Formats: sequence, C-alpha cells, structure tokens
Amino acid sequence: MASRWATLSRWPPGLGLAALTAVVGLGLGSLGALLWQARVVQPAMLWQEPWLAAVLRFTVWQATLSTLLAVGLAVPVALALARRPRFPGRAVLLRAMELSLVLPTLIGLFGLVAVHGRRGWAAPLWEWLVGAESGYLYGLSGIVLAHVFYNLPLSARLMLQSLETAPAAHWRLASQLGLTRTTLWRTLEWPRLKPLLPRLSALVFTLCFTSFAIVMTLGGGPRSSTLEVALYQALKFDHDLALAALLALTQLVICLSLWLLALSRGGTPSLVVGSAALPAGGRWHRRDGVGVSRLTDAVWLTALAALLLPPLVAVVLAGLTGLPDLPRSGSLWPAAARSLVMALGAGAGALLLAMALLAGSRWLRARRRAWAALLMEGGGQLILVIPSLVLGTGLFLLLRPTLGSGWQGYALVVLVNALMALPFAMQVVRGALPGLSAPEERLADQFGIRGWARLRWLVWPRLRRPLALALAYAMTLSLGDFSVIALFGSPSAPTLPMLLYQQLGGYRWQGAAATALVLLTLVVLIFALLGWLTRRPPRYPCNHNAREERHARVS
Amino acid sequence: MLECRDLSFHYDRCEPGEMPDFHFSFRLAPGECLSVEGPSGSGKSTLLGLLAGFLEPAGGTLAWQGQDLLALPPWERGITTVFQEHNLFDQLPVWLNVGLGLAPDMKLTRDQQTRIRSGLAEVGLEGLHDRLPGELSGGQRQRVALLRALLRGSRILLLDEPFSGLDETTRGGLWALVRRQRAAGAAVVLVSHDRDDIEALADRRCRLEGGRLVPIA
Repeated sequence: MASRWATLSRWPPGLGLAALTAVVGLGLGSLGALLWQARVVQPAMLWQEPWLAAVLRFTVWQATLSTLLAVGLAVPVALALARRPRFPGRAVLLRAMELSLVLPTLIGLFGLVAVHGRRGWAAPLWEWLVGAESGYLYGLSGIVLAHVFYNLPLSARLMLQSLETAPAAHWRLASQLGLTRTTLWRTLEWPRLKPLLPRLSALVFTLCFTSFAIVMTLGGGPRSSTLEVALYQALKFDHDLALAALLALTQLVICLSLWLLALSRGGTPSLVVGSAALPAGGRWHRRDGVGVSRLTDAVWLTALAALLLPPLVAVVLAGLTGLPDLPRSGSLWPAAARSLVMALGAGAGALLLAMALLAGSRWLRARRRAWAALLMEGGGQLILVIPSLVLGTGLFLLLRPTLGSGWQGYALVVLVNALMALPFAMQVVRGALPGLSAPEERLADQFGIRGWARLRWLVWPRLRRPLALALAYAMTLSLGDFSVIALFGSPSAPTLPMLLYQQLGGYRWQGAAATALVLLTLVVLIFALLGWLTRRPPRYPCNHNAREERHARVS
Repeated sequence: MLECRDLSFHYDRCEPGEMPDFHFSFRLAPGECLSVEGPSGSGKSTLLGLLAGFLEPAGGTLAWQGQDLLALPPWERGITTVFQEHNLFDQLPVWLNVGLGLAPDMKLTRDQQTRIRSGLAEVGLEGLHDRLPGELSGGQRQRVALLRALLRGSRILLLDEPFSGLDETTRGGLWALVRRQRAAGAAVVLVSHDRDDIEALADRRCRLEGGRLVPIA
C-alpha cells in the first residue's frame, strides 16, 4: 500500500501523463505525418514489385538467421560461463561482452573490417584454409557475422544473469547431491532460461530486422538490402514518401506482431544487463564441470573470445597508430564536441521521460489501476517498434514549416535519440524507481522524514546508480547513432559516427582509426566517470559527537 | 567419527578486523548431535560451508572414520545440508525432489520409486506425491528435504536453522525425523538460535567466539 504522503502527491500522474502524451504523440504523430504525406499506400507492392519482395525476404531471412545464431549459440556460452565462475580471463571476457553492448555500431564494424575484411588479420588464415580470397564479410554472411558479434554477447550476458538468479542454496544442493548435467539442465538451467527466450529473441530479431549501419556498410548492393536501408534510400534519394510509408508500416506490423507474441508468452524478465558479479567466495563444485564438459566449455569460450576480442583489439591498435594524426585532424574535435553535447541532451531527455513515465505508472499501480499503469509503461516501449528513420522523417514533416536548417536539424536528432533511448533507460531505472519499499515508506512517515530529507537521504542513495547507468546507456546510444543523423546531419558539420563513415567511405584509414579510438574512448569515459561518481558513498551529515570522541581518543 | 582439526578460513574481501580468521576443531561420533550457536557473522555458515565443501579451507584436516573428506567433492562426502529455505527445486514435484537424493541423473528404478512413496507416507506426506513445492507449507517442505537426506543415507547431516519460523507441532515432527537419521548412524551438526531445538536434539553444545568453537558446559 502506498504511504499517505505518496498518496497526497499529485506530481507523478501529471508528469507521467505529460510524458506519455509527448512520447505517444510524437511516435504516432510522426507515423501519421508520413502516412498523410504519402497519401496512397499500396501494400500490394510488397509482392508485386520483385525488388521489394526480395528486400522483404532478405530482411526477414537475415534477421531470422542472426537471431537463431546469436540466441542459439549464446546458450552454450552462457552455460559454460555459469559453470566456470573462476578461470583466467573470465573478467576480461565479461568486460569485452559488456563493451560490445555499448559499442557504437560503426566502431564494431571498423574492428570487424580490420579483422575479417579482405586485407584483415584473418584473411591469410582464410586463404590458407579455403584457398580463395576472403570475401565473407560482405553480403549475407558479413551481416549475420556483425549481428552475431553484437547480439551474442547481449544474449549470453542476459542468460548468465538469469542463471545467477537461482538461489545459492539450489546450486549448493545440486553440488551436494551430485546432479548430473542433464538433471542440472532440467532442474536449474532450463527453468531460468525458458522465460527469457521469447522476449530476448524478439529483442534480437527487432534489432537485426531494423539494423541500419551494418547493412549499409556490409550489404553491398540490392541483393542484400533491408527494409531500413530501402526506407533510407526512399527518403534521402528518391523522396518517395509513399514507398517510405509502406516500408515503415511493414516494419512496424512485423515487429509489433512479434513483440505481442513474445509478451503473450508470459514472464517479464529483465532485458538489461546488470553488473557482472562473481558468485560468493570459495569453491563452487559442479559435478557437470568435469570430464568432457571441460573440453566443450573451453571450445565455446575460446570461440567467444575469438569473436569478440580481435575486433576490439584492432580498434585500439589502429587508433594508436592514428594518434599522431589527432592534433592535425581539424574536423575530429568539433565532431567530438558536437557528439558529446547531443549525447548529453539525448541522455538527459531520455532519463527525464523515463522517470516521469515510471513515477506515473507506479502511482497508478499503487491505486490498483494496473491496466492504466501498463499502458503508461507500454507507451514508453512503443518507440522500440517504430523505426528511428520514420520517427525522424515524421517529425521533420510535422515541423517542416518552422524547421530551418542547421542547429534545428540537430535538435531534431537529439529529440529522436532521446526517444529511441527511452525503452532502455526505462528498463534500467524500473527496478530501482520506487526507491523505498512500502514498509520503509511507512517507517519514514512514522518518523516524519519527508520532502527533501527523504529524497536526499533515503531515496537518492538507491536511485543514483541506476540513474547513472541509464544516463550512460542513453548517452552511448546517441553517441553512436548513425541512422537519424545520416538523414538530418550536415556533411560539413558531422558527428563522430558521420565522420567515421565519411572516412571509411573515402578510404582514409588512418583518420578513421583515430576517430574510432576517440569515439570508443568517449564511451568508456562516460561509463567510467558516471560509475565513479556514483560509487562514492553518499556524504551523510557529520556526526559531531563521533568526531569529538575521535579527537579525544587521539589526544 | 567426524574429526575436524584446525580447519581454517579467511575472507579475503573483508576489511581488517571485520571478520576473524576462523579455526575450527571438534570431534563428532556417529549418531551424535553437536549444536553450534553464535551471533550473526560469527561464522556458523562458514563452518557448514567448509564441512560441506562449498568453501575451500586455508588449512587443517577433515576426516570421517579416517577417510580424508577434503579431497572429495561435495557429492562424494556423504553430507547433506538442510537450509532454512530453498531446499527444493520449485518446478519438480515432491517425489522427484526426494528422488534426486537417490538418483542424481533422475533415472529412478521401480524399487527407488517405491521407497520414495513409502517414505513420504511414513513422514505424513502421503497424497502430496505429485504436488509442487509451492503448494506445500513450510513444514512440509522441510519434511521433504529431511526425507531426502534420510533416503540418501547421509553420514553427516548439516542443519542450517531448518526449523526457523515453524510452529511447535511441526518442529516436533521434524525433530523425530532428525532422530531417525541419528539412529541410522548420521552425525548431526545443528546451527540454531532456538533453545527448544537445541534441547530437543543436541548432545553437546558449542558457541562460536573469535572464530573458534568454544564448548558450552
């Protein structure tokens, strides 16, 4: 039951409603604007136009294949990581997995090209094995490889997190009873993974289905193009709003149907990766950890390391070689400043919207209006199924009469990025937002701890870390954005991802390496700085008596 | 005889002085019950973790009838722990939860299944054969866990406050089950704060002080 003071507050529902109106209004409004401008949408084109049918087929096929591989291979990887809580390099592997979650797509692509490209590190090995030039990075295989590079670590981390939610007593019991591999799978592992799979698969499929930068870079021609790239071409080059609307609607219908199916499968597991914690100290015996599983686990973990580490190392090494060029790189620093300012704006926007929606939803839930609460939270997730290009274009069309060029275009990008980051920010903050449990709230009421004191000393210490993490996620998403900015950004005033794309396209390898390194450094710095700021213990009011006692002891 | 000699442990991640270095020594005959008391953080769970093989000792010896237990993984030590909660796997029915003690691969023979059925009847759980743990009361869940330990034929039974929060009648039934294990030759280490539990079961009492076991007269 909510406390009396929470009951009296009228702020949460008002703010929540305002945020919901803004988010749903902008989302549906942009879609409506596109449809309105398009006038005529002909769904029959999807099967009558051979190239469009081919694009749709390829989009579904690459997303399905990527999802199957990323989620399917994540299962043995997560099991191996759970089975081996202590091995040399585990921490590095987990950090690399976390880094790949927030790595801007173009940096990952840069690393993948450096390793798997025609003249990449792996090329000689490929030529030796296959006897032909390495060209697998382009086309379907390359797109799937890049999608697996990004989504396998995400899936494996979420699965590992889920496995670690099993009570320690269950693992100890399993160890004591000597449960075999099959029994462990049946009793502990599968029950933890099963509820996660529908939503995780839907998430990975949506990410692969709407993937833009990867397909733009590795797609190589109409045979391997996706709806999102076709949408970009329709808007940017052909100015064909009818086609853009049709593509956007197709994408929306497919993704939305999939999410509805996944959500109907029950369970609401978290889809946000928390911090990697080691199990409690001491040995953690598992009967299935010996024998042949030593070998199979080693194979899976080595394969994961081979997938993740070389591209990351390649980015850093290439960046180091580009370091001497940094001071002379005229466009790099303005691009970095631009990116950072926009990321800060988008991050703050996403966070404020997330807080307002969650506070409103919590207020409603406390009054047993579960449906209204679900609607408020669901409104924030709506953005997941609306392509960012559609959001940007729709808003552009809505605001066109007043929207000028220059900074206004960038403001639009900030707004769209804030909306795109909103679902992720909400996921991170959701668990922590109440700040206080109902009994704690009653206790606080009893002692009269209200207003600022309550927020400062009781709620804020619990909220600050998740808020910082959400801000870091949202800023990183904006920092790495290369879809909306491609539409509205000016080539003469690029952000870091735009600059990187220009440099890669112009074969300016050295410059691209330096840009990639700066972008990567910014991402790492944001997480490190926010993590450091919120790790320090809060400064509680000074206990004068204790200080005097200490002084007395010393003297 | 269970012989524990200077079994030691140190928590690496603790601030200096926050936790003492632990050095445990005691002897326990088959069928005997030793109670361990002490405030929170005094090392009761550490002791049980070391005995069960969940924690790796820094030194010392642990043997049962002369056999070195430290060299064995937890599942070969013949030790069963009954925790305060989470003793059962939520998605398995009662009979399979008991069955895990007999067949870790869950391939139960007809004879084993009969033993489980009659065991459940003996401890007053007939008719609950196919229930899930979530459908049982706290006392019934602990009875299932103790029955599993009994059927498993554990040589050493570690009880980590398994009777907390249960009413007197329920506890009485569980004490009887523990006594059956003792009669079958199991040595029992009981961690409890409850005077009734201790008086009902323990032959000898110890308190944890400064990381060491001190006998209570």
